Order: sequence, then C-alpha cells, then structure tokens
Amino acid sequence: MTAAISTASLTKFYGEHRGVVDVDLEINEGEVFGLLGPNGAGKTTCIRIFLDFIRPTSGTATVLGFDSRSDSVEIRKKVGYLPGDFVTYEKLTARELLEYFANLRGGNLDKARPLAERFELDLSRKIGELSRGNRQKVGLVQAFMSDPELLILDEPTTGLDPLLQQEFHRLVLEEAKDGKTLFISSHVLSEVEIICDRVGIIREGSMVTVEEISALRERALTRVEIEFADIVAPADFENLEGVTDVTVNDHTLSCQVTGSVDSLIKSAAKHTVIRIESAQFGLEEVFLAYYSNDQEKGDSDAA
Amino acid sequence: MLRNVFLKTLRDSKKSILYYSIGSVALGLYVTLFYPTIRDATGFADFLEQLPEAMQAIIGDAETYTTAEGFLNAEVFTFMGPMVFGIFAIIAGMGAIAGEEESHTLDQLLANPISRTSVLLQKAGALLVGLLMLSVGLLIGLIGGSKLAGFDLTITGTIQAILSLYMLGVTLGLIALAVGASTGRKGLAGGIAVAVGVIGFLLDTFLSVVDALDPARFISVFYYFNNSDVIINGINAVHFLTLVGIAAAATAIAVWKFDRRDLSN
Repeated sequence: MTAAISTASLTKFYGEHRGVVDVDLEINEGEVFGLLGPNGAGKTTCIRIFLDFIRPTSGTATVLGFDSRSDSVEIRKKVGYLPGDFVTYEKLTARELLEYFANLRGGNLDKARPLAERFELDLSRKIGELSRGNRQKVGLVQAFMSDPELLILDEPTTGLDPLLQQEFHRLVLEEAKDGKTLFISSHVLSEVEIICDRVGIIREGSMVTVEEISALRERALTRVEIEFADIVAPADFENLEGVTDVTVNDHTLSCQVTGSVDSLIKSAAKHTVIRIESAQFGLEEVFLAYYSNDQEKGDSDAA
Repeated sequence: MLRNVFLKTLRDSKKSILYYSIGSVALGLYVTLFYPTIRDATGFADFLEQLPEAMQAIIGDAETYTTAEGFLNAEVFTFMGPMVFGIFAIIAGMGAIAGEEESHTLDQLLANPISRTSVLLQKAGALLVGLLMLSVGLLIGLIGGSKLAGFDLTITGTIQAILSLYMLGVTLGLIALAVGASTGRKGLAGGIAVAVGVIGFLLDTFLSVVDALDPARFISVFYYFNNSDVIINGINAVHFLTLVGIAAAATAIAVWKFDRRDLSN
C-alpha cells in the first residue's frame, strides 16, 4: 500500500519564525488521520505545504505519490481542500462559485447538489451575504464535490453549529467507508476522537507523537497517591517504568502512571501501605499532558 | 463566463471595461469635435510659439498643433489617452494576483488543479483584452468624431497611434501585475507602476528640456510610446518593440517570481 501523504524531515521557517521542524509523517491510504495541536503549532503550515501554497525550507512532502513541489497540479486534481475559514469570491453566488471550481476541475455539479441539500445550503445567495456557518458549508460542498481521493481539512468545523458538526462527522465517516483518505487538523480532541483512526500530536512545530486513538487510550494516565507507615525516599519510585511526576511529602507519595501500575505496586509493597488512592484520566488529559509538557518547558525557558 | 480564469477575470472586470471603453469613445469624440474650433481660430499657433519649450512639450508643438493629426497627437496621445489607458491597466494589473492574495481568495483558487503560471497568464490575457476594448472605443470615437466634425483623419496613422497607446497600457499594466505577483502587495504594485508612468511622462515632457536630464528620457516608457509622434510619422518599430520587450520581461519576471514564492495566508 502506498502512503497517501508522506513527509521526510519536513521543515519550514518563515524567515526567523518556526513553522514546522523535521516532521516525518506517513499517512496510509484509506485512513482518517487527525493532526492535533494548539494554535500556532504548525498544523496549517503542514497543510499549506501539501497544497504547494508554501514551499518547505528543507525536507520533502509526497502526496498521493507526487512531489508537493514538482507535481502539485497532479496532487490538486485528486485532493479536496477546506480551510477553517473558507474565504472566496464574495460577489459570486454559491452556485456560481461551485460551477467555477467544477469547471476548473473539469467536473460538474452532480455531487454538489445533493450535498448542498443535505446541508440545507441555499445556492442562489451571494457568498458575501452568507453567515460564517453558511459560507463554511459552501466550502464543504466544494471540497467534497469532486469526489477526491484525499480530503485535506484544516479545522473544518470552526464556525459550524453542533448539529452541523455532527452532520459533518457523519459525512467524513461515509467518505472514509468509501475508501477515501482524510487528513483533518483540529485543536479539539473530542472531534478527532470521534472520526479519526490515528492521530498525530504536534506542538511548537515538532511531531510529538503519532498513535492510534486506541493506543492513546491505553496510555491513559493514572494519578496515584499512596500513604505509607514509614517515611519513604522518592528515589525508590522515580525510576520505575511509566512513573512520572514523583513527589514525596512525608509519608505520602504521589505520582502519575502511564499504562500499567504494576511496577509501582510492587515497589510500594516493600513498605507498609496504609492507604492507596488512584484516579483515571481520559484521553483529554493525555492530550493535555502533551501540551503541558510544552508549558513547563516554556516556563523553564523563561526562567 | 465561469469556464476558466481568463473568462472569470473578464467577467469580474466587465463593468470597468465597459466604463473605460465608453470613456475612450467620449475622449475621441470630444477631441475631434473640438478640433475645428482650434483649426479655425486665428493666431493660436502664434500663441503656442511664444510659450516656453517645456509648455509646448505638454500642450503641443506649435508647428503641427493646428493640423488634425498634430492636434490629436497633443490632446489624445500625450496626456489624456495615456492617463485613461494607464489607470485602467494599472488597476487591473495590481488586482490580478496581489488583489486576490490580499482578499484571501487566491488559496482557494489555487486549491484547484491549475498552475500558478496558468493563473497569471490567463489574468494577463484578460488585461490585454480589456485594453483592446478601450482601443476600439478610442478608434470609434476618433474616426466617428472626425466624420461628424467633417474633417479627414488618417486612419492608418490613428490606428498606429492607438496601437502604440495600447502597448503603453499593456506595459504599465504588466509592470503592476509583475510587482503584485512577485510581492503579493497590491499597493506596492500600483505605486511602482504609477511611478514608472508619471516619471516616464515627466522625463519625456517637462524634464526633456533640461539638458542634463535629456539622456534619461531613454529610460522613459513615454519616450518609446510616442516620442516619434506616431500619428504623424507612423509607428517606430524599434520604439514599439522596446515596449513589447519591457512588457514581455515584466511577464517573465512575474511568472518566475510568482512560481517560486510562498503565498500569504
């Protein structure tokens, strides 16, 4: 199976400003991939490189087997693109715009009409007169109407109300069933959790991790607090597998455990345990943990 | 009109093309209908002769001013014509790429399977067609007006002069387009193209009487446009081709730069 998108040491600087650094990514055909990260992490930079709006400083991006630089037109024949804030010719009506883009793609509106109906979009109105949400619907229709092999969606549901978001998620899942590849950026985990098979977390321009959603769930954190009869040394626990954030306050140990708590329990058993408390955190916290690492790093940099 | 970028661009500018073309017809009519008054006014040439050289350079040459061609040369092909064609071309040129970029519509256009070079060339093509409409308008106005006013006007000379004016418009428009495509900045594109036009005009008129500045007229687009008084002497192939060369160079630079830079978001 060829990769739908593959990058090698993809790096982009805007002058001095960091876009992305050394991103290696492999997205399989037929996969729904979510790129998660806070604003400014480099999500849009990646996407704009895939579409050849901007050029990498170094490294390469290959989309559907084509080089993003030299074969961009070939790529764009097979890709539908929707940015978070869909901006286009305000003086055209929605129908005229769709007609124009369909013409540029050598296609027609056969698939656009049912999509517009599904999203209750009035095609006769001028784009400039549409609300943000309705404008976004036009963007959605134009992205999907050419029946593209790959959909690149940059925070696509911004500006859509919850009902429409749901309808959009359904559409994405249908397309995925059809064998389409979807690359979706978002800063909302819950969205990615619903529609994606795999997720990449990006922060400050670097890919922190790429994992299956299910694996990420397994890596959910457990917060553990153990009270001992005696005073314990932090060193006894600091180097255990999966254990982080160890603090010992007199008789009480608190720490964070990723995955299994087995090694922690076995070490704790060497002492007299009075009380044990644990709390599970969901995917949201896993995700936030990646972000907060970033925060701590930022803080120490500042200090 | 939504078949491709070329037609879409013409569609967007159809009102502007219409108004400027009507303006060109009106300019042609106004000047030709006014001409008999000047021709029949006694002593007008004597009056011009007393003016300083610099004023003659802008108002008109004393020797030819009272002939139909000389009058049109001074009234249409020195200032008014270049102004109408130049403004139209520069506005169209600066909007072509930089305008779309600044209004954030370029990303979505280029998400379609069409190369940047093709977008640029189609937009340049629409600019050429727009200017052609202005040229036809001016020709209709001049020929029609001369018939109405009852004097003979050299058709070949007039067509050649309009062709030269057309090429001046094309050159200024493509310079604006090139700066816009290279930088993505509409204001800069307009500013530079206007500067090329205005400085070119000054170098070829007022400043041409300053001896020290005389060699500088060779860098003026106006020199190549009409220094040889095209409507009287016919087109100067070298001058005309110089403008063609500048326009072609501007387009080549535009394609080259536009294809190699990052688009702004």
